[in-house]
Amino acid sequence: MAGVAVGAVGRPRRLTEPAGVRYLLTGIALGFLALFLVLPLAVVFVEALRNGLGPYFESIQDPDAMAALRLTLIAAAFAVPANLVFGVAAGWAIAKFRFPGRTLLTTLIDLPFAVSPVISGMVFVLLFGRNGFLGPWAADLDLRIVFAVPGIVLATMFVSFPFVAREVIPVMEATGTQEEEAARVLGASGFQTFFRVTLPNIKWGVLYGAILCNARAMGEFGAVSVVSGKIRGETNTLPLHVEILYNEYMFQAAFAVASLLTLLAVVTLIVKTVLERKLAR
Amino acid sequence: MEGPPSGGPGTHMSIEVRNLTKSFGSFAALRDVSFTVHSGELVALLGPSGSGKTTLLRVIAGLEAPDTGSVLFDGDDATKRDPRERGVGFVFQHYALFRHMSVFENVAFGLRVRPRDQRPSEDEITRRVHELLGLVQLDYLGDRYPSQLSGGQRQRVALARALAVEPRVLLLDEPFGALDAKVRQELRRWLRRLHQEIHLTSVFVTHDQEEALELANRVVVMNEGRIEQDAPPGEVIEKPATPFVSNFLGNVNLFHGRVEVEVHDDEGRPMPMELDGDRSEAVRVIVGDRVYVRPRGQIGT
Repeated sequence: MAGVAVGAVGRPRRLTEPAGVRYLLTGIALGFLALFLVLPLAVVFVEALRNGLGPYFESIQDPDAMAALRLTLIAAAFAVPANLVFGVAAGWAIAKFRFPGRTLLTTLIDLPFAVSPVISGMVFVLLFGRNGFLGPWAADLDLRIVFAVPGIVLATMFVSFPFVAREVIPVMEATGTQEEEAARVLGASGFQTFFRVTLPNIKWGVLYGAILCNARAMGEFGAVSVVSGKIRGETNTLPLHVEILYNEYMFQAAFAVASLLTLLAVVTLIVKTVLERKLAR
Repeated sequence: MEGPPSGGPGTHMSIEVRNLTKSFGSFAALRDVSFTVHSGELVALLGPSGSGKTTLLRVIAGLEAPDTGSVLFDGDDATKRDPRERGVGFVFQHYALFRHMSVFENVAFGLRVRPRDQRPSEDEITRRVHELLGLVQLDYLGDRYPSQLSGGQRQRVALARALAVEPRVLLLDEPFGALDAKVRQELRRWLRRLHQEIHLTSVFVTHDQEEALELANRVVVMNEGRIEQDAPPGEVIEKPATPFVSNFLGNVNLFHGRVEVEVHDDEGRPMPMELDGDRSEAVRVIVGDRVYVRPRGQIGT
C-alpha cells in the first residue's frame, strides 16, 4: 500500500530525463535565443547610443525620421483594422460554410505570402501607375496612389492580409458550427451570435493574428519600397528610412531609427500581454 | 422540484411534417417523409446511422432547409420560419454548450439575447436560471465552466438551457448517446419524469431501440431516409411493419404473462414492484440480458 502511494505521489522517475540532458537542452535553447534574438537587439541599441544620448535623440527627432514614424503608424493603423475585418470575415466564410470557390478562396488568402513582396509592390504600380490599368481613372479623380501614402497603405494591407485569416481559420474549424446553431435556436440574431459566441471563441486567434499583422505592417520593406518612390519626409516609412540612412553611411542615425522600430515592436508585445490578461477570464 | 418551467398546457405545439425530402449532394437523407407529433407526446425517431433521423430533427428545428415538403407547427406552415422564431428547444448530440460561458450564463443566454422589450430583468433572469438549474439538480454548479463538468452534467445543462426559452417543442439529438450506461439509465428515467411533469411536446433521435422503447409514447422507425413504421412501442415490437423493423429490433424478445415475478436486489432481498394500470397482464420486453416490465395498457396504447 505504502509503496504504491509513494509511487503515485512522487513523479515517476522514468518519465523525467537525466539531469545532464535537461541542462543541455535548456542550455541549447537559451544559447540560441541569446545569439539570435538578444544579441542583435542589443547591437541595435548599442550602435544607436554609440555617440551618447544627445545625438541619439537628435537622430530620432529629425523631421524626416518623425515623418517616417508617422507614415509607418498610419500604414499600420489602416492595415490592422482592415485586415482584422477581412480576416475574420474570410475565416468565417471558409471555416463555417461550404460554397463553390471555397478552395480557391483558401488558396488566394495565402497569395501575399507566396509571392515576393517586390511583386506585391509592382502589382500596385502596374495597377495605379500612370500607364496602369486604373491609372487614368485615378488621374481623373486627381488621386495620387503610387509614390504617395495611399499606395503605401494598399501595399501594406496586401502583404499583411493573410495573418488574421490564417490564425482564425484553424480555430474556427476546430470549434465547428454547433455553438452558433445553438445560439440561433435560442433566439440570438446573427449579430448577437457573432459577438457573444463566435468572437469569444476565436479571440486568441484574432489577437495573435492582429499582432503578427501589425508586426508585418510596420516592418514591411519590399512592397512598400516599390510603391513608395522614397521621397524623404513624404513617402518613407521607418524601414525605408533606416535603409536610406545606412546607405548614406549615417550608421548611428540608422541604428537610432532602427531602435525606434524595435521599440514599436516592444510596445506591440506589451499591448498583447495586457490584452491577454484582460481576455483571460 | 419546482413547478413547470414553461407555460401551462395548451401552449404546447403539435408538429406535422409533410412529404419532406432532403439531399446532400447525391445522398438522399430524407425521401418523402410525413408524420405528426401530437401536442404533449414524446416521440422517438429510431434508426441506424445515416437513416435521416438527425436530418429530420434539424429540418423541424429550422437548422436545415428541406428540398421539398413542409413543416407545420399547430397547423401553421413554418417551413420558411427562421430557427429563432420557431419556439423550439434543441439539445445537441454533443451538447454544444458555450465553452467560454459559465453554466449560469449558458442557461441565461436565451433570455439575454431577447429583444430589449421582451427581455426579463436581471433579477428575473437570475431567478429563472436558478429555477432551471434546480430542475436539473445542478444549482450548485452555476459558476463552473462546461469543461469542468462530466458528460451527464453537461447534458443536463444543455437541457436547462433549451428549456430556458420556454420552448413549445423540445428536440433532442441522441440525448444520451455520449454517456456511459449507468448515467444514461439515470438521465433517461429523469427525462421521462420531466416529460410526465411538464408534458412538453418532445421528439428525440436515437439509434438505441431500448431507449426508444422505454421512453417514447410513439416510435418512428427510420431507414434510408424513409419511415418504416410509426407506432406505439408495443406495436413496433409485436407487429413490425417491415422486415427491416423486425430485423432492427431483432434482439428484442417478447413475452406475455402475468406478473408474478419477485424481483430480488443484489443481496437477495425481494424488491417491491409497482405497476400502474392493469396489473394482471403485462408485457415483458427483454433486450439483451435486461428485463423491462411494463403494464400492457401503457405500452399498447
